[in-house]
Amino acid sequence: MELGAVVMVPAGGDLSRMDAGQRRSTATSEKSQRVYSSRMPILGNDVLRSWTERVRKLGVQSLWLTSSPGPSRLSGERALYSTLAGLAREGIERLLLIKLKSYAEMDLADLLRFHRENRSPVTEAQDDQGRLGVSLLDDNALQATGGEHEFLCAGTDGGRMPYRFRGYAKRILAAKERQELVGDGLTGACAMRPLGAEIRKQVWAGEGVNLAASARIIGPTYIGARATVRAGATVGPYASVEHDCVVDCGTTVEQSTILPNTYLAPGLLIRHALVEGRYLEDLGSGAVADLQLAGLGSSILRRESLKQSFGGPPIDVFAGIGSGWGFAPFSTASQPWLQVHL
Amino acid sequence: MGICPILHRVAALAAGASVRTVSGTVLPFPCAASPAGRRALRKGLLSALRGSQAPVIVDFSACRTLNHRDIDLLLECVAQAAGRDPQVFLVAGSTVNRLVLQVTRISSLVPVFNSIEEALAYPQTAAENNAAYPLASPSQKRGSPS
Repeated sequence: MELGAVVMVPAGGDLSRMDAGQRRSTATSEKSQRVYSSRMPILGNDVLRSWTERVRKLGVQSLWLTSSPGPSRLSGERALYSTLAGLAREGIERLLLIKLKSYAEMDLADLLRFHRENRSPVTEAQDDQGRLGVSLLDDNALQATGGEHEFLCAGTDGGRMPYRFRGYAKRILAAKERQELVGDGLTGACAMRPLGAEIRKQVWAGEGVNLAASARIIGPTYIGARATVRAGATVGPYASVEHDCVVDCGTTVEQSTILPNTYLAPGLLIRHALVEGRYLEDLGSGAVADLQLAGLGSSILRRESLKQSFGGPPIDVFAGIGSGWGFAPFSTASQPWLQVHL
Repeated sequence: MGICPILHRVAALAAGASVRTVSGTVLPFPCAASPAGRRALRKGLLSALRGSQAPVIVDFSACRTLNHRDIDLLLECVAQAAGRDPQVFLVAGSTVNRLVLQVTRISSLVPVFNSIEEALAYPQTAAENNAAYPLASPSQKRGSPS
């Protein structure tokens, strides 16, 4: 039986729009529902790559990569599901569908075995907190109701068999669980390891990091590639400064994640927070502060980012794919699709 | 927004104790104010620090966000108040303002409260705690600002 695989990544454009909407309301918001891109690295790792590795172990030769439509984009959703139905018509008899919203150390072969044994048209992986975004669908389910696949839509359980996952899993779209994953990765509580060299006990650094002699790095901590930590700054414990960030003089970062291309001004105290460019989310209260407004931090615009802001294609979802992945671009329909050779 | 120091007098009733009166001078922070407004706050703060032994409370409740000018002005106020007898307290007014005060480390220099009432009650609470736990540090004392 031919098994196909599709990974849906929350679309960059969707996220940007959502983000822009939230910026207006959360610059002073007491509690945010801020959503982070699943393509943002975690300890330098790309969660998409961890899923593609798991799919490859199933013996699947290639997978389809697409951006998932936002919840309000019904037409986009219909188009997506009709494309999935099209895959079934082309001979895919079973489809593994991964919505890239969680990191889960899941044995996909076991999920497949469970699906076969239960003979349900749809099997969906869940843990104690709910859906993990991983489903298996048979071709009859894919072609059902003329492309109106209610089983894929949130809020309906019709025909779905839950696969109880009891292994390690974290949702990566929310700040708090991202930080929990960072802590677990740094302490070895999960299989994800920091991407870089261990330069001291429990201190990992990517390529080209620039650490001032007077900077204090307290493990467990990760400093991503090309990041700069200036004089008198303290990073750690339980901190992750992702690639191309700058932590300026005297600033302390602890129990926090700094997402790529972020600048932090001198003398700050970043504790139990997630910083993405100009926005800081407090992990305890969920409050979001605009650091740029207060002159305390900002995004560092790189050449690639500038290209996108001046009318480039919305490639955020597929950013970084191409070199070293064995990915081949494929034609686009109403939304971008890539066929990925594993 | 003009600067209008308000003398608050509140009666606080401690459990099983007699009525005590606590007072403080409240200065609304001039968010998004003109340079003149900022000068007025500076002047108001200095005069409040000179004029009384009661704590001076800078209130951010009307500020939706804090920008870099606000931070600069606040740091200047904190520097002016350093080492003086009347204490300066801050009322954050919102979680976001409190977050900015924490990120800039201002909250480690000056006690930050959620409301004016909390700030006005603080000296009394602190005095009670000093009697109850004479060796405890401020952070260990019950009723200390977070």
